[in-house]
Amino acid sequence: MNLRPRLTGETLALAVLVLFLVLLPSLATAFFVNFVMTQTLILGLAAATIVFLAKYGGMTSLAQLLMFGVAGFMFGNAALEGGARGLNLGWHPWAAVGFAIVVTTLAAFVLGAIASRTTGIYFLMLTLVYGVIGYFVFAQIVEISGPGGITSIQRPDLLGPPVRLYYAGLLLSVLAYVGFRAIRRTAFGLALQGVRDDPVRMASLGFNVPLHRALAFTLAGFVAGLAGLLNVWWNGQIDPASISIGPTLILLIIAVIGGISSLGGAWLGAFVYVLVFTYLRDLPLVDRIGITEARFNTVIGVIVLAIMVLSPEGLTGIIQRLRGRLRRRAATEPAPSDGRSLPVHTTQKELGGTRS
Amino acid sequence: MASVVQVTGVTVAFGGLRALRGIDLDIAQGERLAIIGPNGAGKTTLFNVIAGDIAPTTGAVVIRGQDCTYRPSRHRPRLGLARTYQKARAFAGLTVRENIYLALAGHRGRHRALWWSPADRAMRDEASDVASRAWLSEQIDVVAGELAHGQRRQLELAMAIATDPDVMLLDEPASGLSRGERERLAELLESFDQQLTLLLIEHDMDVAFRIAQRVVVMADGEQVMAGTPEQVRADPHVHHIYLGTEAA
Repeated sequence: MNLRPRLTGETLALAVLVLFLVLLPSLATAFFVNFVMTQTLILGLAAATIVFLAKYGGMTSLAQLLMFGVAGFMFGNAALEGGARGLNLGWHPWAAVGFAIVVTTLAAFVLGAIASRTTGIYFLMLTLVYGVIGYFVFAQIVEISGPGGITSIQRPDLLGPPVRLYYAGLLLSVLAYVGFRAIRRTAFGLALQGVRDDPVRMASLGFNVPLHRALAFTLAGFVAGLAGLLNVWWNGQIDPASISIGPTLILLIIAVIGGISSLGGAWLGAFVYVLVFTYLRDLPLVDRIGITEARFNTVIGVIVLAIMVLSPEGLTGIIQRLRGRLRRRAATEPAPSDGRSLPVHTTQKELGGTRS
Repeated sequence: MASVVQVTGVTVAFGGLRALRGIDLDIAQGERLAIIGPNGAGKTTLFNVIAGDIAPTTGAVVIRGQDCTYRPSRHRPRLGLARTYQKARAFAGLTVRENIYLALAGHRGRHRALWWSPADRAMRDEASDVASRAWLSEQIDVVAGELAHGQRRQLELAMAIATDPDVMLLDEPASGLSRGERERLAELLESFDQQLTLLLIEHDMDVAFRIAQRVVVMADGEQVMAGTPEQVRADPHVHHIYLGTEAA
């Protein structure tokens, strides 16, 4: 519970990474920046809300893509004017942004309040039901989703050139990462971790456990809504199929690939997903072994399976293990012996929760 | 002395099993009451009813004049009630300081702050003071999941002390402690303010009889007898149900 920010190796690495990403548009191709990296940042931001809820609140949510979609649909309805699809309210783009965020946050609070009384597999299933209901609401009420979706959505002038959208994604991603990490040490964040560890104990300390869960869900919904806005500006359109069960699971898969217990893993998972999605078809000879673009989901499935078998903590788990191994190797470098005693090193073995 | 906790005709049934059968208790302010009885007597169930973790099937619980029978447990700290659990329930992923901080934050209504204020800094310092009272100064930044069993018990107690309660419910605080730790626990309990009301479930009779002014004996969900530690110690019926026929 150190209140002062410390300059750790991790902070330094994050600063270097952010600096690199800021400079990326002048180092990489426009396609890589505006397609691969912008999509990575948007999906990573949305997946980070799954990680936040799972890591600090013990809640694995499948409703985050719904929040993402609600924001997109609300912006499309509010901002478009005189189009063939949606409500065509014709508001100023920033008013539409406010409207989309308010509606998404309210929806997250209501859904969170209902789901907050469930835990574990029941919470997961309930949020899956939210996703399914949300899909059917937008698929069947064409007045708010347009037949086949809302198209020709323009982003605000401020974000006109595609590279600005990349920077907006980067800014929001950094804010979300730093914000989520900072929250864990606040009264709210500590209480959320307490709710995760032992809700009965938290109640006996005077905390309103369901309200706390609902508020965490609302916060995650708000951030997912921001990602949804970036997505609708990046895509220029949104349709109900983009929030169906398939994409809902993809967001969870992204979190799992990166590591559901690591915030940074959300963006790492998104990067791997987008890379595979974008470049799979370009791999030499890959079609000879039966892997075509149409079998993309199979490839992703195999990757997820391999990661879960090799490292349930995802790619960040593998990275942490490698770092730990390197650190241990450095620590156990044999010291110059005086020839009289054998060197003794600290050894540690973890067997589940037991450390020996 | 005014009564702070009144339990009237409390019955708890889990399906066909009646865990409590018409329990009546009137606990005065500053009283030290030990509840003893064999396993399955209903002691912890009675604690759970008083603490609001479960609602009774029939009967009433009044704390400081307020009917709390069906009010959830989160309202109890506002009435000055704190409890510990039979199995230490500190938050395994948080440090000792953070655990105690949460107890303070819960008591003071600082539940949902998203930023640090001077009040939080004060509570952080206060957590260190509370930890030292429970002999946990050296473990202040250790994650609770890495504490030894006895230290977790101390942390439970520290979290209860932190809220500066009027009524404290301690469920087997000496369970699993070494002889030295039990002695230290008894000293700590004796050092509490005389205005603090203490309800204690304890199998260690040395600790229970040393702390308690009154002892309630339970068996099969019923109150068998109540009296001073000397009266209970001398009662042959208590020997029979609690210590076995041979002792009688």
